Amino acid sequence: MATAKKTAHFPIFDKDAPPSPRAQPAKELAKKLTEAYGPSGHEQAVRELLREEIKGAVDELRVDALGNLIARKKGAGPTPRKKIMLAAHMDEIGVIVTHVDEKGFLRFAPIGGVRPLTLTGQRCRFANGVIGVFGIEKKDASNTEIKMERLFIDVGATSASDTPVGVGDAASFWRDYVDLGDRIVAKALDDRIGCVVLVETLKQLKKSPHDVFFVFTVQEEVGLRGAGTSAFGVQPDLALAVDVTDTGDTPESNTLAVALGKGPAIKVKDSGMLAHPAVKNLLVQAAEDAKIPYQREVIVGITTDAAAMQTTREGVLTGVVSIPTRYMHTPSEMADFADAQNAVKLLTTLLSKPIKLD
Amino acid sequence: MSIKEFLRQLSQAHGVSGYEHAVRDLVSERFRPYADEIAVTPMGSVIALQRGTRADKTPAPQVLVEAHMDEIGLMVTDIDHGFIRFTHVGGVDARVLVAQEVVVQGKETLRGIIGARPPHVLTAAERDQVIPMSDLWIDVGLSETRVRDLVQPGDLVTLARQVTALKNDLVAGKAFDDRCGVVCVAETLALLATMRHPWDVYAVANAQEEVGSRGAITSTFQINPAVAIALDATYADQPNMSEINVVPLNQGMGIATGPNIHPLIHEKLTEIAKAHEIPYRVTAYTGTTSTDAWAMQVVREGIPTGLIDIPVRYMHTSVETLSLTDLERVSRLLALFCAALDDQFLKQLRGEPVAEQPAQASEKPKAKNVTRKAARKRK
Repeated sequence: MATAKKTAHFPIFDKDAPPSPRAQPAKELAKKLTEAYGPSGHEQAVRELLREEIKGAVDELRVDALGNLIARKKGAGPTPRKKIMLAAHMDEIGVIVTHVDEKGFLRFAPIGGVRPLTLTGQRCRFANGVIGVFGIEKKDASNTEIKMERLFIDVGATSASDTPVGVGDAASFWRDYVDLGDRIVAKALDDRIGCVVLVETLKQLKKSPHDVFFVFTVQEEVGLRGAGTSAFGVQPDLALAVDVTDTGDTPESNTLAVALGKGPAIKVKDSGMLAHPAVKNLLVQAAEDAKIPYQREVIVGITTDAAAMQTTREGVLTGVVSIPTRYMHTPSEMADFADAQNAVKLLTTLLSKPIKLD
Repeated sequence: MSIKEFLRQLSQAHGVSGYEHAVRDLVSERFRPYADEIAVTPMGSVIALQRGTRADKTPAPQVLVEAHMDEIGLMVTDIDHGFIRFTHVGGVDARVLVAQEVVVQGKETLRGIIGARPPHVLTAAERDQVIPMSDLWIDVGLSETRVRDLVQPGDLVTLARQVTALKNDLVAGKAFDDRCGVVCVAETLALLATMRHPWDVYAVANAQEEVGSRGAITSTFQINPAVAIALDATYADQPNMSEINVVPLNQGMGIATGPNIHPLIHEKLTEIAKAHEIPYRVTAYTGTTSTDAWAMQVVREGIPTGLIDIPVRYMHTSVETLSLTDLERVSRLLALFCAALDDQFLKQLRGEPVAEQPAQASEKPKAKNVTRKAARKRK
């Protein structure tokens, strides 16, 4: 096919180059999204922000039964067009109130992978805007081991009757977004930075031979639940998750050949999935061709929406583009914004051209 | 091709979960002469269809027989001063890795060894400990720069091991879990080609069992069979093993039972084994069988599932040991089972009233005669 020979032009990565004109609006979106409230199962606020952001730029926009936001950008190529699904999850980890005692202290359970070590001294925010602080029973305040059941939330109430939240109310961490220049710090970069990458890809992708589905999924942190159902609905030929991954570049870290600022990571394996070799090679080739920096990721202990998409129906060719992120699942996750921008470049490069999948 | 030769070829091929292509090529070639159609699924499983022999041209129900073709293995995580650090794909036992020879699938295929510190320099406590995988490394003999040129994170590593023939028709090698099952599936398909079977038979070699039955979940969704049978390796007799649920080598197979197994399928398998004097034991599972059968059972609206356990000693080591005679018996039982599936059995599975239909009653013994004769001829 003639179209196969066309190659889109993208600027070569250069660390000293002036920031891309898109960097600022993208960072503003990152701030808006990370500061929004959205523990798993309560993604409405994030979904509305995203809907506003993309509604003019897509051909179809719907919300499925679980709350996934599914946007379709129609391809320009001849039919039948390949269906390509990009997924980033809207939800973040959080806590849910399980008990209110007579003095108004709240006991809670985790939503997703919350580690007690990261909680004491932190603040959380409920859907109604109420702020709470995490306290610890003083008798258990050892520095070596902190158990979740010895922690509580204090919302400043003096008794059960004047507690502004109750059993079943969920809270997320409460932290401001901070721009450190190259690097940004925020709560819920996992995976709002992935949502930013999808929105930017959607806006920068001028013409694609494929039908591209930008899917903002729910409930990733509690078992990849939105990705499974949305992929069942979309029935893609190729699915890519965009999510954060851990790094090995902090002091005394585990052996892990992923670092901030060295480009998006192309996943080979994590604890839940093996990227399809053809998809991994497709991403590597696109990065090499457009001279986009990238890293190869082999990680233990985490997984992404890709694991659920891969085993949907008769199986889907699946891969992952990861944004390296330090201090995952804490209120202060850190990423290098250039890695996110390069992920956008990688995805637009890949999606602008015909893709051969065998 | 003999069972022994095909097992040798499969065992010595490299096919870690997610990267089964070399094994898949061998399997497709072996299935092809007995298949009406062959397909590869998006997850990399290979499916061969052998159409049923139905006189009346009504649509045939489908039986799926499967084994998994992937093997456990290692994956490069980092290069550390010229030595290769790695993690595992599937349930690799760190105890059996030290001093193994390996094959590193880098830009070039490299031979390597997994090294360890000499016992002389270990503390007394260290000598009693298993060395964790994170403290092991692969040495390919090259300088750091050369290793970095040729090997990257994500490259695969498999154990280098040739099949060894032992006495008494036993063989030892790597990846018998579950390539021995794949051998039996292929042999079943070959046997069925000489038999009458009213149902369509789907022979499947699945990908990615060792990392969570991902090939089975998806290929079973695609086929949506009325009955699915898994073949997988189970524990055989060996020193210091409990005798519970163990099937001794050279004494047939285990026919599994428990909540993972449809009672009517268990019953039919045991009935046929008895009728044809094929030795077996009943293996009982209170919950998961830790095989593809567990995953297949809950695909779509649910699939009636059976499991045949093939006894293998020293599972998940590179010297898995089995009896070739057992593989012949498993293949024969499975072929006889597939040929015995009829409309009445489908009704029983669906809980529909089974009326005595003269037409079927007269057809049934005839089919059985044919299958018996065919089986005898092979013997």
